[in-house]
Amino acid sequence: MCLQNFPCQEVERHNKPEVELKTSPELLLNPVLICRNEAEKCLIETSINSIRISLKVKQADELENILAKKFLRFLSMRAEAFQVLRRKPVQGYDISFLITNYHCEDMHKHKLIDFIVQFMEDIDKEISELKLSVNTRGRLVATEFLKQFI
Amino acid sequence: MASSAAYLDADENLEAIISHIEQKSRKIETLLKQSKPVEALKTALEGSPLKTRDERCKSANWIVVHRAMMAIRDVDGMFNSLDPEYYDILMKYLYRGLSTGDRPTCDQCLKIHEKLTEKAGLGCILRSLADTVNTV
Repeated sequence: MCLQNFPCQEVERHNKPEVELKTSPELLLNPVLICRNEAEKCLIETSINSIRISLKVKQADELENILAKKFLRFLSMRAEAFQVLRRKPVQGYDISFLITNYHCEDMHKHKLIDFIVQFMEDIDKEISELKLSVNTRGRLVATEFLKQFI
Repeated sequence: MASSAAYLDADENLEAIISHIEQKSRKIETLLKQSKPVEALKTALEGSPLKTRDERCKSANWIVVHRAMMAIRDVDGMFNSLDPEYYDILMKYLYRGLSTGDRPTCDQCLKIHEKLTEKAGLGCILRSLADTVNTV
């Protein structure tokens, strides 16, 4: 991950993440799409001063769909705290990270990569846990409610 | 001017490239019937239309390479006989395969990718990312 500072070419005194704007093709590298299977994929787009990583997490059924959406929206809303998170995921994906040269200057590169890999590993676990707790709660509530009819 | 002249040449050669790919495809089918998947992959990779911008040529060649790649079972043996000059092209095709999302293709691509990275190193991956002139 070699990101360097690159002031905007079109506008003076502006410094924009080139991967978001995509105005100059010479500043961009080929985007790489890695699919583990039909449901999960990861898009990595790079440019001279920024990288955008978009993930699509596995959603096996409707419940996981809703849980994933809510959970990831919760995280995206608090993107300020994460710094490298993007507020809105890229079209077609569930969550996106935007790493700029400023992040690389402030933080260790290997730690940033570890963070993203850890995130990917944990997200599946988290959603399974959430699904389990929803099902358990639902079962308990239903049992209690229907006891009165026995 | 020079670059547009180069593209014009490519246009004239499109038909030639597509017929070349069809020839390759026939050769590969015979090689696969003779259980020579490594030879088939080598045939598929050489003469790849890297410079042209035409999507049809690239897709046609991708189909051919894909067919050869899926037939490979022994990945280590393949690398013993594959020339290093084909590593970069193979890496680019691996990434194209990974973007398809089709489960068997992705599994095969990931297997080959792991071994290819061991062999060719990280530079190979970087070249597949950075090369915008020779695209697959």
